[in-house]
Amino acid sequence: MVFGQLLLIAGNAREGLVTATTRGAIGVASRPVSGVERSLSGIVVGFVHLFRDLNADEAARTKLQQEVTRLSGELDRRATLDAENERLRRLLGMREDLVPRSIGASVVTLRLTDQSRVVVIDRGSAAGVRPDMAVVAWGGAVGRVVSVERDFARVRLLTDPGSGAAGVILRTGAAGMVVGRGGGPMDMVYVPKYNDVALGDRIVTSGVDGVFPRGFGIGRVSVVGEPVGASKTIHVEPEVDERSLEDVLVLLEAKGTTLLSGGDEPPPSQP
Amino acid sequence: MIVVWAALAIALALVLDLGLGRFAPGATRFVDPLLLPLAAYALRRSQRSAMVVGCISGLLQDYWTEPHLFGLNGLVKTILGWALGAFGARFDLNRVGGRFAAGASLHLVGVVLDAGVRHLFGEALAPVPPWVLAVRTVLGGLLTAGVLAIVGRVAAVRGPAKVPRRRT
Repeated sequence: MVFGQLLLIAGNAREGLVTATTRGAIGVASRPVSGVERSLSGIVVGFVHLFRDLNADEAARTKLQQEVTRLSGELDRRATLDAENERLRRLLGMREDLVPRSIGASVVTLRLTDQSRVVVIDRGSAAGVRPDMAVVAWGGAVGRVVSVERDFARVRLLTDPGSGAAGVILRTGAAGMVVGRGGGPMDMVYVPKYNDVALGDRIVTSGVDGVFPRGFGIGRVSVVGEPVGASKTIHVEPEVDERSLEDVLVLLEAKGTTLLSGGDEPPPSQP
Repeated sequence: MIVVWAALAIALALVLDLGLGRFAPGATRFVDPLLLPLAAYALRRSQRSAMVVGCISGLLQDYWTEPHLFGLNGLVKTILGWALGAFGARFDLNRVGGRFAAGASLHLVGVVLDAGVRHLFGEALAPVPPWVLAVRTVLGGLLTAGVLAIVGRVAAVRGPAKVPRRRT
């Protein structure tokens, strides 16, 4: 039994027939159990929401009406700002690529141990999710899709010890690699020691890893380590609270705002 | 019938594991519900059944929540089933103290084995703070003792004839 499982683990690298078959068989066998768990969870969540909403309905309705009024005005203002933003981008030699296409997904379950930090989402290959796609949430980058089944996918969180994302310090532009450290804060490594880094500096994805588009929040600097050799290590507090993840976006393409290279000039703007 | 009970126990543990991940994901750092059926079968039945239950529950856990190495949890839990089954056959662990010790050991040794196998297969490891290990050990022991007490009560209600004979 032990030998068989060692072979199974070793077969992961090649994704051989035995591993795929075993995985498929276990998936088919355990799918009903997951369905039961989701039904029970749905009932529990329904009850919680019911009791919570009983008192809050009227106040929430009034608040929402005010919010709609405010947002309508905000939309009008935003339309003007968008046009202005577009003109300024052209002036600066920047280009807004197509906003990354994405699909929404709900979290099925999370596993947050020290050696493995993964979230299971309810969208899989049937919805167009593929391995190595970036997953983001309100607040910033969450992780990367590592394996996909038909109806769900496993996402390795940025805090997983095997995770890494290219990051850049927003204030100074210093680049480095953000790696997970299990339950604790993440580390940003390969930051040149002469770069200015201060506590509280915000780190965002740089886009050079080909997975995350540029500009998604990763975290804030919590500790700046002493330089070792030519670089220094920085501790980073994650921006997204993994424990409260409920809904995420899977980015179907790693596009975002990019700087234009020399030969990639935008068409001249019309006055 | 034995197979049905084992399947039911594993299914319940999996539901608990997935539910815990949904409602209290931080708790998955400290508690592994899929170790409970393993402990029950190691202490109440045989070493072989503990290994089989450990293998199946570990593979289920791998399928749902292991992003790195499929089969890792299966291997770890099979070894744990083998070890606890061997101890259970030689010592009387089926009392409160023994159940607590068994559950605590499973949760503690499980972390060490998990890290060892990951290291063996070249995975990056994160340091585990001692307080996490301490909380995990105590919680695992308490949970195992509690669940096995309930299982014992249920078995007693069903009658002494239904209490299985231990095999090694």
